[in-house]
Amino acid sequence: MSEQATEIKLHQQSSMLEITFSDDECFELPYEFLRVYSPSADVSGHGPGQEVLQLGKKNVGVSGVVPAGSYALQINFDDGHHTGLYTWEYLYKLGKNQTALWQDYLARLEVAGGSRESLR
Amino acid sequence: MSFNETDVQNALKNLIDPNTRKDFVSGKSVKNIVVSGSDVSLDILLGYPAMSVWGEIKAMVEAHLKSALPGVGRVSASVSSKVVPHAVQRGVKLVEGVKNIIAVASGKGGVGKSTTAVNLALALAAEGARVGVLDADIYGPSQPTMLGITGQPESADGKNLQPMMSHGLQAMSIGFLIDADTPMIWRGPMVTQALDQLLHQTKWDNLDYLVVDLPPGTGDIQLSLAQNVPVTGAVIVTTPQDIALLDARKGLKMFEKVGIKIVGIVENMSTHICTQCGHEEHIFGAGGGEKMCADYNTEFLGGLPLDIRIREQADSGTPTVVADPDGAIAKVYKQIARRIAVKVADMAQDHSAVFPKIVVQST
Repeated sequence: MSEQATEIKLHQQSSMLEITFSDDECFELPYEFLRVYSPSADVSGHGPGQEVLQLGKKNVGVSGVVPAGSYALQINFDDGHHTGLYTWEYLYKLGKNQTALWQDYLARLEVAGGSRESLR
Repeated sequence: MSFNETDVQNALKNLIDPNTRKDFVSGKSVKNIVVSGSDVSLDILLGYPAMSVWGEIKAMVEAHLKSALPGVGRVSASVSSKVVPHAVQRGVKLVEGVKNIIAVASGKGGVGKSTTAVNLALALAAEGARVGVLDADIYGPSQPTMLGITGQPESADGKNLQPMMSHGLQAMSIGFLIDADTPMIWRGPMVTQALDQLLHQTKWDNLDYLVVDLPPGTGDIQLSLAQNVPVTGAVIVTTPQDIALLDARKGLKMFEKVGIKIVGIVENMSTHICTQCGHEEHIFGAGGGEKMCADYNTEFLGGLPLDIRIREQADSGTPTVVADPDGAIAKVYKQIARRIAVKVADMAQDHSAVFPKIVVQST
């Protein structure tokens, strides 16, 4: 069985989700990072290679989180996205590989010529 | 020689409960030890229903104390059971009137989930527990037939339904609300909503266990059960042949993925006993269930024979555990039920898997 989350803190001012796991690992995951790596099919597609690059999410907020059973968290973003169920396993993976994943996102953004800034 | 409460406690540390395979002290069963002079009295409070073995345990505890405490006078133990409610994940609302929810599932259809579920529920009830059955199979409800229930549930307040009663069980099924030959031609969201209503809008009356008879597969119903219902644990039913085991593995894996604990595996139709000659044969293969348990490190709860009586009795509305309560098959069901109850009692004490605390801060 994978690690269980023991505590989740939403830092609304700094747009950061702080999550602690049962092995005492603690990660600080920015909302933007969570949003562009949403496990939802809208973002991750239905398989590898089908990912949809997310643009302009720099200032995305979180309006709330809803537990899904005892295995995952549904994060409701203020841009209307709420279909991603973040399992503990997935959140742990995001935390562990945060730097590499973020660099990868920035690289893909540059190739596509996109921007983190919202068009609003 | 004199002794005190601690000596009694210590003596009981060496006595193993044959059901939990733990001693009575670490199982937190020993209460109210009173030593007066050379006499000892105490209560043994079991976390699982076990009316049929109370006498046995009483005799065992009294005999043990008599031999462990030299000079002891009268020893009197009073044995009883109290099922504790299971801790649920935060955010999932508790079902009113229900202490523990046990899901009975399988990957494959036709392996005998409903028959097993109803017999296990009856076996738990026979041990003195208050038990309910929720038929979660919206497309093919079986429990009305198996429990021999006809008629419709009543509603006292116009909103909630009273469960139907049969053989001492409280039961709810979509089958009570529709004609037997009316198909539910529904898409997923309707089905999950119906399940939610059957569960939450039934006035369950102080249940120790609610046994949920799930439909086969790993789809809408199973998923919404995992997400919205505080399930204590799941029992997987399978038959020994490879084609059923293949899907049972998927069912088990699904529960693992959604964080529901597996209580164990029941192997149905393990052997067939010929009604003509009495020859016992593994017609679906041998050892499939045990092998699966070994592969996934789960408990093998027991195996049931493919016996025409189990089928006939369930079809006629009096399942084996009530039709032939002292028979060999009923005994197997009762043994499996006790193992489940012991496991569930353990789970109630284990708080490692509760849902995390969620805090929103303006920082």
